[in-house]
Amino acid sequence: MADEKRKIPFYEGMWTTTSDGEARLLGSKCPSCGELFFPRRDDGICVRCQHEELENIEFGTQGRIMTFTSVMLPPAGGYYHGPVPFNFGLIDLDDGVRVESQIGGAFEKLKVGMKVKLFIETLYVDEEGNEVQAYLFQPIKE
Amino acid sequence: MKTTWQRRPVFVAGLGLSHFDYLPDVPPTQYASKAILHALKDAEMEWQDIQAVFCGACYLGVAIGHKIIKEIGLTGIPIVNIENACSTGASALRLAFQEVAAEIYDVVLVVGVEKNPKGAIPSKAFLDWESQLGFNFQPGNYALETVKYMNRTGATEEDISLVTVKNRKNASLNPNARFQTPVTLEEVMRSRMVAPPLRLLHCCPLADGAAVTIICSQNKVKSLSRAVKVAAAVLRTATYKEEYVPGGIIGSSKFPATVNSAKASAREAYEMSGYGPEDIDVLQAYDTVSSSELWDIEELGFCREGEAFRLLREGAFDIDGKLPVNTDGGLMGRGHPMGATGLGQIIEVVTQLRGEAGPRQVKRARIGLAHAMGSGPNSTVTILSKE
Repeated sequence: MADEKRKIPFYEGMWTTTSDGEARLLGSKCPSCGELFFPRRDDGICVRCQHEELENIEFGTQGRIMTFTSVMLPPAGGYYHGPVPFNFGLIDLDDGVRVESQIGGAFEKLKVGMKVKLFIETLYVDEEGNEVQAYLFQPIKE
Repeated sequence: MKTTWQRRPVFVAGLGLSHFDYLPDVPPTQYASKAILHALKDAEMEWQDIQAVFCGACYLGVAIGHKIIKEIGLTGIPIVNIENACSTGASALRLAFQEVAAEIYDVVLVVGVEKNPKGAIPSKAFLDWESQLGFNFQPGNYALETVKYMNRTGATEEDISLVTVKNRKNASLNPNARFQTPVTLEEVMRSRMVAPPLRLLHCCPLADGAAVTIICSQNKVKSLSRAVKVAAAVLRTATYKEEYVPGGIIGSSKFPATVNSAKASAREAYEMSGYGPEDIDVLQAYDTVSSSELWDIEELGFCREGEAFRLLREGAFDIDGKLPVNTDGGLMGRGHPMGATGLGQIIEVVTQLRGEAGPRQVKRARIGLAHAMGSGPNSTVTILSKE
């Protein structure tokens, strides 16, 4: 459809969408020491044990908030085009990897330890009318 | 590594400091060269006495040290430019210390200088995708660390606000500080929320400025009564996945780091100097945000985790307290010209040990420590003594 806005990722190679429509973050796993990495390490180097052939993996979608805040002033430098204020923090995925992410929902309702799930949302609409999408975690029920 | 008795003693003989403030109409070469000439007079030395230069800056581009020296007079000596984030100035001093200790040079000039871009600075420690998601916002990153610290220790927003109150009071006694007026607890806690729990007055103000020291061997010291010995100058960086969000490092939940670079650098400095935390009379801790001063005091070994905010409330860190901390106002009150900050801290310790700190003078200060911590992460610890 010609009038439908195009959806494009803010950055290539960070997530994939499965056939049932669920998003999964893409990462790397070290076959030697077992360490996990997000985002995927294209150079294939394990920065924990220096093994050189990391495996590609997809992570599960759920985790818990480890720490969080809300940014109330626009970040400097002109890199960020999303809404302000926005919540962000560190998420410990159930798979055993820590991910930095924006966090959806009202800031006042967020808590350390809260269960969250991965979603793909529009971060902003660019000059050509494309919906620029990013991964984000939203609180879900226990 | 040589121990203290194996290398020759190294001294800080001269100090030069510009006012720390926004100086939009003054080129950095100007306030830096003036600070250098001040340090020369302070050391009672001539320009021709300087045998090498280390110049630290973060945002001043290629060969800033050469541009500054050109404004005083080129003499053909080696000039090396250094960028090491918030530890830049102290990293430059460490190299000068090593070259004098190793008897390569007798007199080395160390310059820390900065002219900051306006507004919150986008850190260079972050990747493009991180910046696109808004993660490159240092008050936010320090907020993430502060939430973790508050959860671990039970420190409250009032506790971290009291750090600002103390440091702004100290800054009001320091004519070189960016902020010349104290603030009340209420003013801090009502200031604009930037990234909860951090408010505007919990975040250090940026500034332009220059800090200069002249480092030399004992035979070059003109006034031994004013010279201060460099007892240790240490630089450490992080080990694998030491979580430090403002430095662009997210930890590993599977393999958490067992070493902390601040603790490791302090331990090495205590070993090198032969002093321990109990010997330190004056401390310059790293208050990029108010809460970081509290965890810094703990990580440097001055008290156990979770004790610093109670000691703060008891007045232990006041100028007349048991361990005066950030007597010149710290980053919070003095301002943070990134390349100059580490040297600014060292200059305050030397000024205190000389007994020349005027209304903010600490009584009977003989040994002092300065800690700078920044992106990398880098952690520099410098111990100075007047014994």
